This record gives sequence, C-alpha cells and structure tokens, in this order.
Amino acid sequence: MNIVKAIAKKEFMQLKSEPRLIGFLIFMPLMMLLLFGYALKLEPKDVKMAYVDADKSYFSNLIKTNIWSEGYFKLYEVNSTTQIIEEIRSGRAHAGMYIAKDFSRKLTDNAQPTVHFYVDGTMPSLATSMKNNSDAINGSSVTNDMYFLDEDAANVVIAQDPFVLDTEVLFNKDEKETWFFLPAVIGVLIMQISLILAGISMVREKEANTLEQLLVAPISKTQLIVAKILPYTLIGFFEFFFILFLGYFLFELPVPASAAVGLLLLSVVYVGSMIAMGLFISIISQTQQQAMFIAIFIIIPSILLSGMIFPIEAMPQFIRPVAYLFPLTYFNEIIRGLLIKETLFVDLLFDYLVLFGFSIFFCIVSILKFRKYIV
Amino acid sequence: MIQLRALSKSFKGVKVVDGLSLDIKKGEIFGLLGPNAAGKTTTIRMLCSLLEISSGSATIAGYDLSKNSDALKRTIGYVAQYFGLYKSLSVYENLEFYSSLYGDVEKQKLLELLKKYQIIDFKDTKAGSLSGGYKRRLSLCCALVHNPEVIFLDEPTAGIDPSTRKALWDIFYSLSQEGKTLFVTTHYMEEAQRCHKIAFLNHGKKVIEGTPSEVENSLSEFCIYSTRQKFDYKLLHVLHTTSGVHLVNQFGEELRVVIKKELTKVKLEELMQAYIQENIELKEVKANLEDVFIALTQDNS
Repeated sequence: MNIVKAIAKKEFMQLKSEPRLIGFLIFMPLMMLLLFGYALKLEPKDVKMAYVDADKSYFSNLIKTNIWSEGYFKLYEVNSTTQIIEEIRSGRAHAGMYIAKDFSRKLTDNAQPTVHFYVDGTMPSLATSMKNNSDAINGSSVTNDMYFLDEDAANVVIAQDPFVLDTEVLFNKDEKETWFFLPAVIGVLIMQISLILAGISMVREKEANTLEQLLVAPISKTQLIVAKILPYTLIGFFEFFFILFLGYFLFELPVPASAAVGLLLLSVVYVGSMIAMGLFISIISQTQQQAMFIAIFIIIPSILLSGMIFPIEAMPQFIRPVAYLFPLTYFNEIIRGLLIKETLFVDLLFDYLVLFGFSIFFCIVSILKFRKYIV
Repeated sequence: MIQLRALSKSFKGVKVVDGLSLDIKKGEIFGLLGPNAAGKTTTIRMLCSLLEISSGSATIAGYDLSKNSDALKRTIGYVAQYFGLYKSLSVYENLEFYSSLYGDVEKQKLLELLKKYQIIDFKDTKAGSLSGGYKRRLSLCCALVHNPEVIFLDEPTAGIDPSTRKALWDIFYSLSQEGKTLFVTTHYMEEAQRCHKIAFLNHGKKVIEGTPSEVENSLSEFCIYSTRQKFDYKLLHVLHTTSGVHLVNQFGEELRVVIKKELTKVKLEELMQAYIQENIELKEVKANLEDVFIALTQDNS
C-alpha cells in the first residue's frame, strides 16, 4: 500500500512540474462547462432574415415586428423572392419571408392568406424549430387585430387562424442531418490528423535527439520545416478527398461538378492552415504529451464553436467572435456552401482568404520561432 | 585545423564558456576535460553551429564559424552524447537517411562503412534494439557518412564497457591516422590519457592545456604520497583539516595524499603514524590525471 502511495505521490510531483498541463486540467473543464452552460444552445437568435413585403400594410408590419418574440430574427429588406433565395445561398441570410401583395385584402376577406417562410436547409436545427413552431408569430395584437369575422353570420366557416404560415426548406429539402454534419466532419477529421501528426513531428525529433543531428547537416531550418510538413500535407489532401468520396458513396452527399475547383482550393487552404497550426504547436511544445494537449485544446472548442453542431446564431454575442478564431468555422461555411447550396465562389471569397491567412500566418510564425530555436 | 579565439557564451548573463582560446592541429585527437557543467558541451555545440557564439571567434578547416556556411557543415561530423537514431528504422536505413542529408547515397560505400565498423551483421536490425556499444558504432557511422575532416565527439564512450571503449578508441586512432581531426569531450581520465592533447575547463575557463604528461607534471608545487597500509578512518578527517594537505584520495586499499611541498614528508609521516598501527611507509608517486583533475576542480571552487 505504501508503495502505491509513494508512486502515486511521485506522479503528482511530476504533474506539478508541468504548469501547462495543470493549466489544461483546470482550464479545460472550466471552458467546457461555461460553453455548455452558457454558450451552446440549439435555439438560434438574431438569425438574419431577408424579406419582401409587397403588401406594405399595417398588417404586414405587425407580422414583421412580431415574428418570434425574443429577437429570433434580424430582418432586412430585399426586392424579390429570387433575391431572398440568393441571400440564403450566399450565406448572408439563413431565413427569408415573403408577404404577398394581396395579404391584407385576403385577411380582411377572411380568406386565410399565406405568409411564406424560407429557411436554410443546411441549418437543420433552425429549419426544424421554424417548422415546428406554430406560434411563430405571436403577440396578442397580431391575433386580436387580424380577426375580421362577422360573429353573427352563422353560416361563415371560422378559420382557426387568420393566416397560414408556410415554411419552405431550401437546399437540403429533406433536412438530412447527415448533409449538415458530414461536410463538417471532413473538416474535423482533417484537423485531427493534421494537428496531431504535424503537432508531434518536430517535438518527436527533439525528444529522440535526432533534431540536433539534422541541424548539424547542411540544411537550412526552413528547408527542414518544409520537408517535415510535406508528407503530412499530402496525407491531409488524400484524407480530404477520401472522406468526401466516402460521404458521396455511403451517404449520397451531393458533390456537384461545379464545386470541383472550389473544393480543390478549399483543400489547399484548409489543409495548409491546419498543418501550419500543427507545426506551430510542435515548435512551441517541449514534449509530445504537451503537443497532444494543445492539439486537443484547439480541436474541442473548434467542434463546439464552429457551427458544426450548434448554430453560431444560437451563441450569445460575447462568444461569437471566439467562433471566428477557428479555421473550422470558415471551412464549414465554405463546404456547406459548395456542396449543398452551390454558393458562388465570390460569396465565399472572404472565407477562403481567411483560411489562406491562417496558413501564411502560422507558417511565418513557425519559421521565425524555429530560427531562434535552441535544441 | 581548429582555432578558437576568446570564444564565449553566456546564457541570461551567466558566462558558461569564458574566453576560450585553443589551437588544434590536423590529425590531432584533442580532449576537452572538465567537471560536469564546466562548459564542454556548450563549446562543442557552438562549434557545431547548434548554438550562437556570444563573443569571440572560431575557424574550423579555414571556415569562419560565424558565417555558418554549408561548406563548413559538410566538413564537420558531430556525435552527440545522446546521438539521435531513428529507433524504428533499421541500421542500414538510419545510415542511408543521414547519408542522404549530404547528397547522393552510394549503397556500396555505406555497406563498406558498416563493415569497417563491424555492424554489418546487424544491417537489418532496428536501431532501437541494438546494445549500447553497437548504438555508438552506428552513431559514429552516421556522423562519418559524409567523410568529414573534423569530428566532434561529446563524451563518446560514456556508459560503455572497457573493451568496447578500447574498440572505439582504436577507431578514433585510425581516423586520426587518416588525417582527421578529433575533438573529444570527456570526464573520464582514462579517456583523457588517450588524447594527443588536452585542455582542462572549469567554470567555462581554460585552466590548463598540454599533452597528458605535461598536464600530469603541472602539479609541481605539490608532492604526492601513497600508502597501502591499514589506517583508522579518523585519519581522513585529520588530513582534511590539516593545512598544507591539498587532496586526499582513496583507490581501494591505496590512500593518496597530495600535499604542498612546505609540509614535507617527515611532518606528514608524523601526522599519519598516530592512526596506523604498523610502521608507516609512504611512497612518493607521480601525479596522475585524476589527481590533477580533482586538484584543479577544487582550486576554483
């Protein structure tokens, strides 16, 4: 028993000498708890909604101001239904609403007009909650002001609701959740492979004392870095298309031919940014264990905050900027756009540039850091 | 072949190597001695361009170290104290890899090298499962694969049994015969004895330099007496506290006492007789490197 105690005590003493590890042990659960407690909800807020109000009446205004009581949507006006669909395709909006010109006339005629909703099918949680929420428009003023029934007329069939909500799911009509998750899974897998493989690449040489032998040879540090990450970059590319291929055959994930160039570019900037981050981890780590911990520390919040599972729109304002620190967020935006919405390249250009920026930034920082490296 | 001029290195203001100047000739086996933390490894790492020089200069085979050129790197080989071998690669694969860092790989040459250093039989064995002695041989092969002019060896035979150590030194001598210059760090006196020239480093400063026998004779103001008689252990305490006694060193049954000449043999005999039952017999002996090593280390601390 004493021996068990002695060894257990030694383990704690060794832990104590790794302040970073202790940091992880405390910070990690704290972060997860806060994320799940405060940040991660399935119910979106401030979802951008493009609308067309052809009626421009008192009643259509009532609807605009009362859609979902607690700030569910942020509305902005566009000109036509085609434009609503374009806004959603480009990712500028995730929902749309169309109020037809004859809305108030039908309402006063008690003809039960329709309010047309559009929702981005690549966000199944939003689509589901919009479809299921029958009292999407509430507030007593809406219901009170919109009944135009002659209560004395006995032969009038009283409609249950003054108007009907019709929700149309765009792009992922069957609301296949695999279509929502699968493209993001590609990103997660590439991230895991790249961060971990590239993450231990340098530190492993360091632990095995082979790094000094390499540095004694006539190779520059930059050459060494390039040579070290090249294999993992190739593996990353292979994985990217391999998983895409599996998704296509096993889950009928749409891979439109028009997306070919976009996908190729995406694989370059995304694999590049991940490998560069992995390299950076490897250079700042002293041991492989440390490198693994840092990698996990990036992977878990990436999964939780990138919009892969929980819509970014459902996160509180203060946490949203954090989501945009992770390359996976941009990856998700691009790949869902390319595969499911067939978004135009121009509309995704910003996301591509950010990923490209990540790659360049971490490459440069790694090279600079490695130049001053003392083995 | 190697010239150091006032070479210094500080880490966070602490001088680890302090104004070290050396001249090492082609074909020489040069030994840098010193206790742990004396700055030996730091020196060797500066010379291999693994650390930047804080001040001073060094030229190796005519190349200025501060220029850090590829030509210089091709001229030197470095066998680190813990040489990095890829454990999961075979002996041949390791050698092939290190060879490829310097240019085209010639399989025949590599096999000859393995034959010369007697590890050809383990050619396909994984480096991780070699014994300590064979790991050293392989490390040496990997460091020599590009036929360097100057070879830096950091404690090349630490933790190696005497017969393997001798075998490795036979290799070092044959390299020296071929005209290669060897720069060895060690704190084994037996190893120091084998070098053509040695320098002693303490707290980053060169304390003494010369051939092993010159260094042994450097304790001129001291005399060394030896006895194999049985003594009372209280004697050790008495000797340690007597002024004029510089060093007391035990080798099994032998007791070696280094004294300043002023103390004289007669006085020492008187002092020691009280703790020895038989009639005292003190023999004057020649200093060995170990005596010098310990004496110099004590001087500065």
